[in-house]
Amino acid sequence: MTSRPGPAGRHEPVFPNVRTIARREYVELVGGRLFKISTLILVSLVLFVAMLPIAVRLFQREQVTQIAVVASDQALADRTIGVVRELLGQSGDRKFEFIPMLDRDGAIADVSDRRLDAALIATRKPGGGLGFEFQLGETMGQTEIQQLSLAVFGVAVLDYTVQNPGAGFQLPDVKVDRATGGSGGGGAPFDPARFASRMIVGAVFGFLIFLSIVIYGMWVAQGVVAEKMSRVMELLISAASARQLVLGKMIGIGLAGATQTVLVLVPALAALAIEDVLAKLILGQSVGIASSLTALSPGLLLAFAVYYLLGFMLYALVYAAAGSLLSRAEDLQIIALPLSIIAIVGYGQGILALTGGITGFIRFASYVPFWSPFVMITRLAVGRVDPWEIAVSVLLLMATIVVVGVVAIRIYAAGVLLYGQRPGLRAYVAAARRG
Amino acid sequence: MRAILRPVSLVIDRLYKHFGPTVALDGLTFEVPSGQVFGFLGANGAGKTTTMRIVLGVLHADRGVITWDGVDSRSLPRSTWGYLPEERGLYPRMVVVDQLVYFASLYGVPPDTARREARHWLARFRIPELGDRRAEELSKGNQQKIQLIASILHDPIVLLMDEPFTGLDPVNVALLREAFLELRDQGKTLIFSTHQMETVEAMCESITIVDRGRAVIGGPLRELRRAVGRQMVKLAVEGDHRLAWIGEIPGARILRPGIDRTEIELDPGVEPDVVLAAAIARGARVTHFEVAEASLEQIFIDHVGRPADEESHLAADTEPVATATKEPAA
Repeated sequence: MTSRPGPAGRHEPVFPNVRTIARREYVELVGGRLFKISTLILVSLVLFVAMLPIAVRLFQREQVTQIAVVASDQALADRTIGVVRELLGQSGDRKFEFIPMLDRDGAIADVSDRRLDAALIATRKPGGGLGFEFQLGETMGQTEIQQLSLAVFGVAVLDYTVQNPGAGFQLPDVKVDRATGGSGGGGAPFDPARFASRMIVGAVFGFLIFLSIVIYGMWVAQGVVAEKMSRVMELLISAASARQLVLGKMIGIGLAGATQTVLVLVPALAALAIEDVLAKLILGQSVGIASSLTALSPGLLLAFAVYYLLGFMLYALVYAAAGSLLSRAEDLQIIALPLSIIAIVGYGQGILALTGGITGFIRFASYVPFWSPFVMITRLAVGRVDPWEIAVSVLLLMATIVVVGVVAIRIYAAGVLLYGQRPGLRAYVAAARRG
Repeated sequence: MRAILRPVSLVIDRLYKHFGPTVALDGLTFEVPSGQVFGFLGANGAGKTTTMRIVLGVLHADRGVITWDGVDSRSLPRSTWGYLPEERGLYPRMVVVDQLVYFASLYGVPPDTARREARHWLARFRIPELGDRRAEELSKGNQQKIQLIASILHDPIVLLMDEPFTGLDPVNVALLREAFLELRDQGKTLIFSTHQMETVEAMCESITIVDRGRAVIGGPLRELRRAVGRQMVKLAVEGDHRLAWIGEIPGARILRPGIDRTEIELDPGVEPDVVLAAAIARGARVTHFEVAEASLEQIFIDHVGRPADEESHLAADTEPVATATKEPAA
């Protein structure tokens, strides 16, 4: 009659209990003081970030924007500087300084190296008409480009009246080039406002996923440890299976986290949506700020939701397993650091993707399950990602969640019954084998 | 040892469990008749908690089978069992009734029913006013009652309780005893471990004593006492509570001295009258003389070799919880 029992053969539908456990977790968290205070802090933080462009413009009022002017002859240089200074100087928003230079390549290099904000290169064509080339640095926005375009038209008119060539008035050729910065996206004409928006959206989404994983993941671990410390775990583990307890906790805390994310995002998006109006109120009617939401597409929102969800699930399972072997709240720090480092490395790759272009390693990092939620969302925001790449990263993430889930539940089942353990790799391996 | 009882309901059949190199259960075998209060006795670390956890499905045995009315316990729904763990706890900041409803919901009890039953049991334990308080505001004894209610609210068939009387004052012990007997009368099977032999003697019809992961003796308590073949005398003599002269009677020795009365153990064949005659012969005024069967404590010591509240040789490492620090629930 003896046999080696495998896992319990009892038929236990997962969801009634998972729903019950998730509901308790959700109600307790959302009704708690910690949730309310942290939501207030996060809303303040995100509103501050959303209002940063206006603050930057306020700061820029005190800065001098330096633009090199390179012309094929001295008369053209003087004429260009005169007209451009007259037009841009009237904007009142920024202070400009125009520096005559002779070396075209040197001026472009200075813009690339951020020693200059922009270079305006004027050339006289064989037929008498003029050509202008704008080499723009990252501080030059859409408003400045429009002002420069208007100014060079004025230069062309003035030049025509002085030179009076036989061929008659010719519209100047204008070429705009961004000296620094990443991809504008698929060879489309560069739109600096849209690019800035992509950067902001990518940064906000990456930051939110990182923050959610680290904060809410720790809530999962804290919840498990609290249940062990209060010994209520002894009642729980006989009333529900380890799988139900882990999934219920993960879903309940995940929903509480999502609630907080929505509570933070809605005012932030509202602030960004009225950014232009606020800028005009604060900086004056002549100032316009292109909306940071230009790059926010339904596809990107969907991708954010998917990577947020999958990323949280993966980390929450790890945090639940890690917490199950702890018996004291103080020990949470032992697991918090290594898990945070894994997330920080991924988040760092995401930031690099935003600012430094997509390198081979960042492309690789965007497939690695523990990093892809941070890296792929920023890649999607600022660059072009092939559909197969998204499919590979999502499938790898889902497969990892399944594998990690099985191991985490085994560790949890054994770990919650153990007290006084020193949390170390060996203890977790032993718990996984025992569970 | 394998005492056969009828009708047999819960069968623990050759259960083995190791934790690393430590043997927790070493072929443990016993049977629990349904509808009884059953005493599961053993020193700390003898394997009681491990056995209960395997019955519940929280731990898996290395080998062996547990059946309830012939059905493998692993196939039975969780709600078959009610469990009051030795390490007790509640959600400190949760309102008492809410957490009772929560635990019952995990067993599939509809919230309305659970709330009604929770109120009924709170009244039954004479603490109806505590239902709307947070658990952290309750005394330890009252928290213990709440935990017991949490373990029975889903109306389990079998109730497993690990040291249910620990930490309770005599009034609450009496309340709990009453409740247990009421549950038994409703047809429930109650299995509990305890070190309090008097409680077992007062409540249990059958017992099993476990030592080092093995059952060393078990069966109906009355039969076990008779089988010992020894009798006991409870004696009180005015002005002499030491009764030093008992040592002079062949086959008689003091088992448990007391100011009120002294328990004297007699070897098989020694008649109780000998003790009474010796007392009268010494001119003592006997205020109490009672002939009793062998005490459960004596049976325990006979088979385990030490009192129930001494740790087993296996204690420290046998069960995972053995290393637990015992803290209050809040």
